[in-house]
Amino acid sequence: MSKFLFVVPPFFGHISPTLSIGASLLARGHEVKWLGITSLAQVHLPQGGEFIYPEEDLAEYADEIERILKRQDDGPACSGPEVMKLALEETYVPFAKMMMKGLNNFVDKWKPDVIINDCITFAGALSAHLKGIPSVTTTPVPPDVMGDTANSAPKIFEWQQNLIKGLQREVGIYSDDIHIHSHELNMVFTSQTFAGFEEKPPHMHFVGPVKGRPNLAPFDWERLSKATTPKIFVSLGTLLVDIRAAFFQKLITAFENQPVTIVAATNPDIFEHWPDNFIVSGFVPQSELMPHMDAVICHGGFNTVNDTFTNGLPMLITPIAYDHFHTAKLIEQAGCGISIRYKRLRVSDLRETVFELLENPKYRQAAQRIRETFIEAGGNDKAVQLLEDFAKTAQVVETDSL
Amino acid sequence: MDTITTKLSSEEIFNLMKQFITEVIGEEFVEEMDITPESSFTKDLEMDSIEIVSFSEKIKAHFGDQIDFTGWLSSMDLDQLINLNLGMIISYIEECQ
Repeated sequence: MSKFLFVVPPFFGHISPTLSIGASLLARGHEVKWLGITSLAQVHLPQGGEFIYPEEDLAEYADEIERILKRQDDGPACSGPEVMKLALEETYVPFAKMMMKGLNNFVDKWKPDVIINDCITFAGALSAHLKGIPSVTTTPVPPDVMGDTANSAPKIFEWQQNLIKGLQREVGIYSDDIHIHSHELNMVFTSQTFAGFEEKPPHMHFVGPVKGRPNLAPFDWERLSKATTPKIFVSLGTLLVDIRAAFFQKLITAFENQPVTIVAATNPDIFEHWPDNFIVSGFVPQSELMPHMDAVICHGGFNTVNDTFTNGLPMLITPIAYDHFHTAKLIEQAGCGISIRYKRLRVSDLRETVFELLENPKYRQAAQRIRETFIEAGGNDKAVQLLEDFAKTAQVVETDSL
Repeated sequence: MDTITTKLSSEEIFNLMKQFITEVIGEEFVEEMDITPESSFTKDLEMDSIEIVSFSEKIKAHFGDQIDFTGWLSSMDLDQLINLNLGMIISYIEECQ
């Protein structure tokens, strides 16, 4: 049995798949812990798992962490190049610096066999490199979001490299190689087909969506069972708080009195009154709900994208910022949905597009094809097998070198 | 297609750019904007990468090979991209003509 440490960012979309794989690892008898820069409620953790929040080692950064988290709300209003700066320079790199002390201390104490860092949580791979511990990276979104910047935008590539090398030097890694991700195993939670990769680097494994994290959110199933019109699931994910009211107002204008049932995951408090054909609740058991739906509207948060195509449903994606545009492009390439950029979203297009998705079978057929590639990718079983094999061989390498 | 041989004035270029932007992002969204040479490309006009690509294609279709707009963009660093405004594009086109 092995000890696995997941190093995660304070963004639930990135934590979510690690909770699902963690649950499978725990069920196989491994020891699993998570470490993050903010605390995580115990209710999200699979039985037997522990979340480490090194509060004391992070205390000096408390205000700065708060400020950076608040700054994420600006994301939707930022242009593409501004988002790149916001993400890498203002968020990922500073978070990595702040996490190092608490992470290194915990790694010394617990001595994990494998450190698994989320792709934007560089501290995990950096600490693993410093401590000589085998590391794996988890990537919740299709990789290559920024494209081939080395060739298409050399100055932006240089900026990325300088930021990362600067971070590495600051934590004591004086090499010209990049160590923010594992070079041995990178697990991506989508299929190679959907991600649009004809070839892949040998250490990259597309395992498809993973599932099984605890989600105890209640839901009015009885009301849903009485709905007779096509059911549309709508989610904006856990971020993007500021634009919530504007987005749902458009949705109401488009679909009140229309022959559809809208199941919306958002805090109902944003409006005093919702139309009768809207079922709204703040937290929903999304994976359980999805098989009952006929189509999905979302901004492109990756867990919702995975849940949608796992169920072979067509999607209207309304990309807002970050990696959403890349995901929207992949959806249009696969033919399993339609993309309308959030900032250019007209109410009439919103309505017409949803009916097009419901009535034209080609979108659902394409979604079913993506579903098949997801199933073939192997999901939790494949992820666990890769991690167990990796832990074994990595140990052998270590013993050999002694 | 014939390339344009007569040089355009900066005002003519500005109007042409305005026309391209309208075609790319849609008239009703342009109506809400006050497009001036100071308009930032990404911030004020909120052009995303797909829209910038179709804008580039329109420039290419109109001016032909004399203007390498995409190449010009890809030589920029992040701050230059963030601060890029319509006036800079107009000057670039004027220089290339």
